[in-house]
Amino acid sequence: MTEGNEHISALMDDDYDQHSLNELLQNDDLKQTWTRYHLIGDCLREHLPDQIDTNLAQRVSAQLADEPTVLAPVAKQNHTLKPVMGFAIAASVALVAVLGIRQNTDSVSPVPAQAVVASTEIAQPEITPDTFTFNEPQVRPASIQSDTPAAMPSQRMSGYLVNHNQFRSSNSMHGGLPYVRIITIESQE
Amino acid sequence: MKGLVVSIAAVGLVLFGHFSHAAEVSPDPQQLINSMSDASRQLNYDGVFMYRMGNQVNTMRIVHKASEEGIQEKLVSLTGHAREVIRDNEKVKCYFPENNSVLIDESRLGKLVSAYLPSPIESISEFYTFETAGEGRVAGRNVWIVNIKPIDEYRYGYQLWIDKQSNLLLKSELKNQQGTSLEQIIFAQITINSEIDDELLEPSFIGKDVKLINNIQHGNAKNTNDPLSWKATWMPQGFSMNEHTRQAMMTSDIPVDHIVYSDGLAMVSIFIEKLSTTPDNKEGPATFGGVNAYSTLQNGYQITAVGEVPQDTVKQMADSVRALN
Repeated sequence: MTEGNEHISALMDDDYDQHSLNELLQNDDLKQTWTRYHLIGDCLREHLPDQIDTNLAQRVSAQLADEPTVLAPVAKQNHTLKPVMGFAIAASVALVAVLGIRQNTDSVSPVPAQAVVASTEIAQPEITPDTFTFNEPQVRPASIQSDTPAAMPSQRMSGYLVNHNQFRSSNSMHGGLPYVRIITIESQE
Repeated sequence: MKGLVVSIAAVGLVLFGHFSHAAEVSPDPQQLINSMSDASRQLNYDGVFMYRMGNQVNTMRIVHKASEEGIQEKLVSLTGHAREVIRDNEKVKCYFPENNSVLIDESRLGKLVSAYLPSPIESISEFYTFETAGEGRVAGRNVWIVNIKPIDEYRYGYQLWIDKQSNLLLKSELKNQQGTSLEQIIFAQITINSEIDDELLEPSFIGKDVKLINNIQHGNAKNTNDPLSWKATWMPQGFSMNEHTRQAMMTSDIPVDHIVYSDGLAMVSIFIEKLSTTPDNKEGPATFGGVNAYSTLQNGYQITAVGEVPQDTVKQMADSVRALN
């Protein structure tokens, strides 16, 4: 075990000492390890919140570093990497949030906490949330699709479509197609 | 090295030999379409096909029998409501089991010997180009692929997959200018030229207190000799008026003028309906698979254009309708 890790485990066990604390505060690697350990611990204890921002601490300290009146020593920040990481995690958290909503409506059991942790490692979610919709009504035949809210009343429209398609039957290369449409048109009450 | 060259040449010979053996002379696309129209009327067939419009998919079965007595055909929806359409040379009966009703109307099969396509197909060649685009396989059968492309942006195109052996249409797609498929029919399985049992053409729908909507009895949907009081003043090149009827719709008693315009392949219906006081009359577009509609209000009338043409075409046609007196 390295010296740094010893400091961390000491701190995690509340074995507080000023030396370990200073080591941790001055070492970015150690800070990340510290965050990771806590995440793992929370995960094991199922204490995870719905959303995780592993960069919160870093962003807070970055914000502090940018404050005009600084009493604390200015921490060296890697400005090129952080926003990218932030975006990746935000994207995956958004994915989790969307999945969560979908699954609520579909009454599927909630995402296990481990899945949330795993998803924070996805840089670019490859699965679009749309893949997961199952809520299309499958039993009813197609209804008339309206492009705009100002669409015509569908009952009148159905009548027009039936009439149009009947005429069409005298003129269609599909023969049965006009009737195929009639069968598919949403019924009139 | 020499061996390699020889074997490449041998492979080339085999491939070429195979190719020249398999390649048949591509038939003339217009001739193919004409034989397709004949086949779809004259043959017996029984098959299951998938019908997709937009992202909705339904499967249906069609049973078609041609005999001395004429044509009998039954179309059954295999998904959703068990609707059926049965037609012969005189009548079309649409069965809607979900609301216990049967719609009976005059068949347009009988009165048109050259039914399905404008005959001859050559009459539309001014506004569409035809090509035999290749070969393929649908429902386990070898097909020719035929493209029908419109000359302008006011109409849609078709892609047809025609059975080499029987000339039946086994797959078709309605496509917009971007090549997006708006409607598709594709057979999964089909039996051609077998005996069709009459039982297969009977309605399977048995209902009590069936609501019968008989459009023939009511004398609706009659061609009218009344002077035309409305006219579309704009339409794409090649369109002309085909038919004019005045009829009560199923949904109201007020007679509706129905004018049909066609370029021989695409067809646009214009409905002119005097507005009742009901507030649900609205203007605007609607889309149903490959069919677009556009409705507009004019001097107390609702004018609606419906057709398998782009949205822009129905909108412009609806907007151009004028009263003649």
